[in-house]
Amino acid sequence: MHEHDLDLIAALADGSLDDDTEARALVESCPECRAEYESQMTVIRLLASTPGAEMTDAERAAVHRYLWTELRASPARSSSSPWYRWGYAAAGLFVLVGLVAVLNGGLQLGGGESGAAESFSEVADNATDEGGGQVPLAGVPEEGSGPTTTAAAAAESLPYPFSDYAAETRAKRQDVDAATAPTARVEDEECLERLGLDSQQVVDRLDLDQVYLVLMPAEDGAGETVTFVALGECRIAYVDG
Amino acid sequence: VLTGDREAFDSVLRAHEDRVFSVCLRILGNRDNALDATQDTFLTVFRKAAQFQGRSALGTWIYRIAVNTCYDQIRRAQRRPVEPLPDHIDPSDPNAEERIESAALRPEIDRALATLPIEFRNAVILSDLEGLSLPEVAEVLGVPVGTVKSRVFRGRRILAQRLGNQITP
Repeated sequence: MHEHDLDLIAALADGSLDDDTEARALVESCPECRAEYESQMTVIRLLASTPGAEMTDAERAAVHRYLWTELRASPARSSSSPWYRWGYAAAGLFVLVGLVAVLNGGLQLGGGESGAAESFSEVADNATDEGGGQVPLAGVPEEGSGPTTTAAAAAESLPYPFSDYAAETRAKRQDVDAATAPTARVEDEECLERLGLDSQQVVDRLDLDQVYLVLMPAEDGAGETVTFVALGECRIAYVDG
Repeated sequence: VLTGDREAFDSVLRAHEDRVFSVCLRILGNRDNALDATQDTFLTVFRKAAQFQGRSALGTWIYRIAVNTCYDQIRRAQRRPVEPLPDHIDPSDPNAEERIESAALRPEIDRALATLPIEFRNAVILSDLEGLSLPEVAEVLGVPVGTVKSRVFRGRRILAQRLGNQITP
């Protein structure tokens, strides 16, 4: 068999030929080629029928426990894994959103996209009005103890394991099915620039494309703060969900 | 994931953990090592999420990290003295029976796979066991598609010889 024949047989077995006429003719006319092809197909079928391995429940729990423990214990590496730090801040802000909703007499997070967008805009406005639009992260010096305490307490009391927290958050965000909602990635960098933001700063999505939590340098240069920013005008790519 | 959303991490973990574990188990051939590799894979995924450029599918990117993690583990193991395999299952391990049962699903295939050179083995695992397309396998392994085709073809050839009359055409 020539190298070309082997290539054809391999391509036929892989199903990667647009036109398999030549390959099929080869297999039909050359017993050696047919044996090679059938051997390939037999292995393919055998492997395809082999079930994938799965972790046992105990192994899965151990893996999750290890991961969340490692990720929670990694503040020293926060410069290379800022999601951890941001995640805590976001947790604080979710709580704050809830508080604002309660204070406003029961903010309706559900009820359709337009209504939700309006409500979130109101949340953003309210947050800006009440706290300069910024909520300090735990441990970051900031004037005013209310929001700081809320964010810090929320960060410290973040439920464990995270899946519980995720379920709780989903229940709170009644208008967004977080289980199926994709993760957003801001692709319109120019739009972000107009808002004075960097895509890496967008840390969480509160509404489908309306309001984001954004990590910002503190005005006094000491640490970072998180603020609500409406990014509805920026193009969003959904990369997961 | 890119933006550090912990909910997204959680959903990514649950969506991909079994496939990552499956790949690691087949590459490494050892359940405990595969669990270690699975953990390390997702730690890397989470910590490098911001580096994901979106040029490939998220799953492909995760596979690539998993395969590289397995390579690292193999390299580390090669630098360590060889430890003898246990000749019995610790009776105090409550998962022992389950592990044996799971590992025995297709032992002849696992044994045959283990005889393949690592490059062939990984290509065959990703292509024929995990069902990735050839371009996806190329993306995961960081080699040209033509190389993947060759490795998969030759890997299957060796498997066919190793499995011999255990397989029914």
